[in-house]
Amino acid sequence: MKRIVVLLTAASCLAVSAAIVTAEDFSKDSKAGTFGLSGEQKAMFSGKVVDILCELSGDCPANCGDGKRNLGIVRASDNKLVMVSKNAQFEFNGAADDLLAYCNKSVDVDGLLIGEDPGVKAKVYMVQLIRLSGETEWKKAELWTEAWKSRNPNATGEGPWYRRDPRVVKQIEKEGYLGLGPKVDKKWIAENQ
Amino acid sequence: MKSLRLAMAGFAAGLLLLGGPSGQVAAAAGAETVEIKGEIIDTWCYLSGVMGGPDAVVGSAHHTCALWCAAGGIPVGVRAEDGTVYMVLKIEGEDPLAPSDTILELQSDSIVARGQHYVRDGVNYLVVANVVSNDGITNRNHEDFGVVPDFAIPEKK
Repeated sequence: MKRIVVLLTAASCLAVSAAIVTAEDFSKDSKAGTFGLSGEQKAMFSGKVVDILCELSGDCPANCGDGKRNLGIVRASDNKLVMVSKNAQFEFNGAADDLLAYCNKSVDVDGLLIGEDPGVKAKVYMVQLIRLSGETEWKKAELWTEAWKSRNPNATGEGPWYRRDPRVVKQIEKEGYLGLGPKVDKKWIAENQ
Repeated sequence: MKSLRLAMAGFAAGLLLLGGPSGQVAAAAGAETVEIKGEIIDTWCYLSGVMGGPDAVVGSAHHTCALWCAAGGIPVGVRAEDGTVYMVLKIEGEDPLAPSDTILELQSDSIVARGQHYVRDGVNYLVVANVVSNDGITNRNHEDFGVVPDFAIPEKK
């Protein structure tokens, strides 16, 4: 009996210690670019790509929601679910297109954990590089704009995607840049531009 | 026997600190139905500080950027009155990255949302069953901050 007690206690202590050690080591070997964001930490780790809602609730459509769901990574070292909020592009792009090909597969990722707002007691992740576990070559996580083009073949005109996106254009036409109606926009622009 | 129970409890506590032995076990903890009053926000700009402090990247000042980020597939959240941020995983039956107007229509609005609340590893998640009330954009902070980023409204040519 004594032996079982000792073993279980030791296992518990080791598990907690392992989590603390790995939490401190995610920046080791990371090649991620840095930007001075809030609470920014380089982080390279391995884990399984998951549909977050499926992971939490058991509501699991095929192929992690086929690009319509927020995706995350269950980190292998500590089983923590990390929300992936951003890819490596600089045009307001999320990461679902970059992660989707790896749905329910094990990957290595390199990027940044960010955030220190008291309203969220964990950091979210910006994925910059990704590869299937076991592969040697990294892929840059920058698929979003090409995927947007294929989803919006009729979004013509000049300028970046966010000036031409049909849903954004429609919304701004309806409620203005400030969201308070075209009249408020007009007054503010006249006074400030 | 008492020692064994204590040791097993300690072991279980250790596993919980690790986030649970598996996602399935964590999911089994279940959700609670909640009603959250707050503002729909773009979580990346809010948490990263990339565009400025938290008071500048919400409301009317940041509305256009919030539309860009939502259309760009960045997670949308609800910032409750107490400052807690809830990541929206579904809204009125729609997946958040679905190519519809639902999320964009609500962006920056002050709402009361009813739905299922999950917590895992420090992050609050919300499956919004329905928007109980919507006061529109009440945070007119463009009067203090202008537009964020400053190129949100294109210059006239």
